[in-house]
Amino acid sequence: MGDKVLSGIRKRSWALLFIIMILGFGSVISRLFYLQLVQGKELSDLAVDQQMSDITVSAKRGSILDRNGNTLASSANVWKVVLAPIYFENDKDRQTVSDGLATILGMNSADIMELAKKSDSYYQTVKRQIESDERGKVLEFIEKISKENPKLGSVIVLEEDYKRYYPYNDFAASVIGFTGSDGQGLSGIEYQYDSYLTGVPGRVVSENDGWGAAMPFEYEQKQEAHDGNSVVLTIDETIQHFLEKHLKQGIIDYQVAEGAVAICMDVNNGEVLGMATENSFDLNNPYELTDENAKAELEKLSGTNKEQRESELLAKQWRNKAISDSYYPGSVFKVITASSALEEGTSKLSNTYFCSGSYVPYEGVQAIACHNHDGHGSQTFAEALCNSCNPAFMMIGKELGYEKFWEYFQSFGFNSQTGIDLPGEGTGLFFQHEGEPEGSMWPTDLAIGSFGQGITVTPIEMVTAVSAVANGGSLIKPYLVKQIVDADGNVVETTEPTVKRQIISNETAREMAEIMEKNATEGTAKNGYVAGYRIAGKTGTSEKIGQSRKPGVEDYIASYCGFAPADDPQIALLVYFDTPTGDAYYGSQVAAPVFAGIMAEICPYLGIEAQYTEDEMKYVSTTADSYLSLNIGEAQQKVRDDGFEPFVTGDGDEVIAQIPDAGSQIPRGGRVVLYTTTDSTKETITVPDLVGYSVAEVNELSAEYNINIIYSGSVDQDSVYSYSQSIESGMLVAPGTVVTVYFGNNDVDDTVM
Amino acid sequence: MFEKITDKLKGALDGVLTPNDGGTAVKQGSGNMAKLPRHRKKFRIVSVGNGLDMTFLLLVVVVLVIGLVMMFSASFPTAYFSKDSSYYFIKRQAGFAVVGLIIMIAVSFVDYHHYHKYAVPVLIGAWLLMLIVIPANWGSDDPKRWLNLGPISIQVSEICKFALILFMAHWSSLYYDKMQTFKYGVLPGLVLILVTSFLLYLEPHYSGIVICGLIVAIMMFLAGVRIFYFVLAAIGGGLIVSVMAVTGKLTYAMSRLDGWGQALTYTDVDMWNTTWQTRNSLYAIGSGGLWGLGLGQSRQKYMYLPEPQNDFVYAIVCEELGFIGAFIILMIFAVLVCRGIKICVKASDKFGTLLGVGLMAQIGLQVVLNILVITDWLPNTGISLPFFSYGGSSLIMLLAQMGIVMNISRSAALEKG
Repeated sequence: MGDKVLSGIRKRSWALLFIIMILGFGSVISRLFYLQLVQGKELSDLAVDQQMSDITVSAKRGSILDRNGNTLASSANVWKVVLAPIYFENDKDRQTVSDGLATILGMNSADIMELAKKSDSYYQTVKRQIESDERGKVLEFIEKISKENPKLGSVIVLEEDYKRYYPYNDFAASVIGFTGSDGQGLSGIEYQYDSYLTGVPGRVVSENDGWGAAMPFEYEQKQEAHDGNSVVLTIDETIQHFLEKHLKQGIIDYQVAEGAVAICMDVNNGEVLGMATENSFDLNNPYELTDENAKAELEKLSGTNKEQRESELLAKQWRNKAISDSYYPGSVFKVITASSALEEGTSKLSNTYFCSGSYVPYEGVQAIACHNHDGHGSQTFAEALCNSCNPAFMMIGKELGYEKFWEYFQSFGFNSQTGIDLPGEGTGLFFQHEGEPEGSMWPTDLAIGSFGQGITVTPIEMVTAVSAVANGGSLIKPYLVKQIVDADGNVVETTEPTVKRQIISNETAREMAEIMEKNATEGTAKNGYVAGYRIAGKTGTSEKIGQSRKPGVEDYIASYCGFAPADDPQIALLVYFDTPTGDAYYGSQVAAPVFAGIMAEICPYLGIEAQYTEDEMKYVSTTADSYLSLNIGEAQQKVRDDGFEPFVTGDGDEVIAQIPDAGSQIPRGGRVVLYTTTDSTKETITVPDLVGYSVAEVNELSAEYNINIIYSGSVDQDSVYSYSQSIESGMLVAPGTVVTVYFGNNDVDDTVM
Repeated sequence: MFEKITDKLKGALDGVLTPNDGGTAVKQGSGNMAKLPRHRKKFRIVSVGNGLDMTFLLLVVVVLVIGLVMMFSASFPTAYFSKDSSYYFIKRQAGFAVVGLIIMIAVSFVDYHHYHKYAVPVLIGAWLLMLIVIPANWGSDDPKRWLNLGPISIQVSEICKFALILFMAHWSSLYYDKMQTFKYGVLPGLVLILVTSFLLYLEPHYSGIVICGLIVAIMMFLAGVRIFYFVLAAIGGGLIVSVMAVTGKLTYAMSRLDGWGQALTYTDVDMWNTTWQTRNSLYAIGSGGLWGLGLGQSRQKYMYLPEPQNDFVYAIVCEELGFIGAFIILMIFAVLVCRGIKICVKASDKFGTLLGVGLMAQIGLQVVLNILVITDWLPNTGISLPFFSYGGSSLIMLLAQMGIVMNISRSAALEKG
């Protein structure tokens, strides 16, 4: 009976065992089999993903250098401070870390605390781009807190990063461009050559535990980062500086509303030596508006309007007018019309053109006036250009004809991009007539087109076309990057000049150069003349049709394009002011003096030898030597030998100071003040008002006030007067100080329609 | 005959020592009641018999050693980071194991028939402990499961599980012939489940309810309760869960049910956090593949899988030893359970069989439930793996229970001899 009882329990026990083994262990084993052998690979990959820390090692972005190796943009090591709040265990630790970091990074402790409280997070960026001194302090802090509590060590992470520096801030800003927060190029060369500059980021793959520390396995793979290549520009920092300096001054002097452009180009190979767009912006701070008016405008707005307007204003600020803007070239285009007509032989140098003050190009059309309402009378071809006579050019255009005009417009490259290596290049536009094929013109189109109205060009197209005239007729492709250099300094790529096509013959080009040189010395472009240098140039003033800021007065564009030396052209220079709002707005009044100012600095810098006329010789500046430490007698003799006039102050025996300093430019026969005692160096004189005088009068004043004058502009002309001086009148300066006085001609030369 | 035996056993409850039950008498084939007093004279505290089952002892030691090794491997990174010593857990666990082994051997000498009279006090005591634990930890949001006794904390549900098995074995062996009736067969079990569940619910300790419920059910099944009642119980259990769900009392358990089965397909940050442990358990298991990463080579134990020394220790076993290792360890468990049950069905009386099989079934049950949890087939509710998971009270209780089974093996062997 007991057996019977027990056998029941035994049976059920075996049954229970069977259930546990088959149902229980069976399902467990099949589940493990599935997870480990079927889904194993997938799960293991997920686990590895989690365990591997794949750290990207940023590659250092390459530098941007000018043609002489000066750094215009470079990257430097910075660090990013990151919190991993998940490792915090209590609020006390959070507070300690927040306070510590706040002190080091100059931040608000409460802000960091907020990040530290995101306790699920592994990654909260505290501050980006901290420099090495701050990094050092953070490292010390990490060491300190991890001594107190080892786990706190993993809370703060310093990640390596690079920051882009632009040492010259707004220098060549629209050319160089800037980078975004991830280091990618957003505009200019930074954008265009991004793939060269970026480099290849490296990786460090290692196994980390759940707290981000390395696991005790030998498991780390490194792939070195390849730093980006550097880009060597054709830009010459010095020339660029000349361009920007003069443009900035011009914008102030002529109250220019819409900015200014200057492009300096090597006419023989297309290298852009300088390309300035003013007003510029700070590359280190590209999102800050530089224009005070724009800032004020934005202040008044709010909400989405403000955001939208801000992005518009920023886009305008970043816009590289030199390649993106198209404008009516005005009279500068007469160079093209003239070149085409000469090349085609439709007009001869011996032709004469009569200007009565206006001209009716075609019957039934209203007469188009010349800027000289009295008329230029009878003129030769060359005189017509020098007079910038619109009726004469309407005639020349008519001689050339529609087809040829359109053909040369294309040939000079105005309706296509020059292909310069910058993003956002625009193109000029020929006359547009809906429903008619490209290149078709109406009778008046040819008339106004021949003096540069009704068609648009971009500044870079204009300077490239004029370069073709200068270099003997070849249209070349302008470019900004000379070389690509790797991180070790090896040249990776060198840009070869590209000649696109021969547009005009060498002979035509020589003839045009002569006419343009004549124009720059005697004609309407003479304000662009630089003493001692053979400048060829053409002014232009064009109306921005339909745009007006003052009632009744249209907005203008004043430009000047030319090259030097006229007999052996090397550089072309375009200066372009968009909407001067002062009293002066003609190309000859606004752009020409700036052109002259720039050329006067570039030519000596490039070592172009000056050839002075006899008249000019007396105004030519030479370099002062050092007369310091010399006996006063010797010094005086040496000053005389150098062609200057010595002027001794004090009663000492030895020269202890001199003005002008050694190396500065003084006009021949200028005064060198030699100081012999300390007291004597404290003497000052007041700068006189030197504006509005003839060259001779300024000369007299300088003697009277004991200052030195550098004569800038076309000083060998009788009709020129000073219009500006480099040091304001009333300033107290040392005797012998050099003041540059700018001379020019106030005649109204050219305008259109 | 049965009546006499039960009478005798009733006597045992009253403090009368009973060396052997009627089984021996039956075996002696005489059916002569007069022999019983003679047996009564052979008063024994210890029961050596013909010696304990060496195979079983060996299996326990093997499982214990493997468990210690794996727990050490799984725990040392966590120990290093949170306790500043890699050996923190293993030192304590090894200490518990030694104490446990000593207790096991000691218990194996204690004649299991003595437990008859302790069945009721132990049960009452376990319930009282649970009642103490709840207010002692009141005010904390955490579950109140631990009785803090200075250096060692006791998880009272471990005692409760044993108390339930003991009482059920005791009761069923007393009223074995009335097990078919509702009053004797079902009612006590029901009361046990309800009272225990209520106390565990107060803690709350839902996985405890599940395990305790299953244990009582297993014991009732062994005792021969009609299957009809199990069907009713299943329906009733479903109703209770529904009621709890409706009253919102299931929040804590529900929070653990959140993300159940979705460890790899979490959809948001909350889910990601909820399923973190289970997901990393799956990563660990999957990483093991067929052969594993090698002993000590787990990567998931480095702060990825939280508390790898506790419930999820087997995930690390799977990662380090692979499917092969995990399978072998499961087989050792299976052999242990089989051997234990084999011993116990040979016990000379109902009480021994019921008690022993119940104890072995509990181990099998926990192994299965634990692995189903770590493989995301059951919600993550806190069921430890016998001999592997870190925990002193659990390990000592387990070894003591193994001691009881060994004592049963002695008597079984005696029976054989």
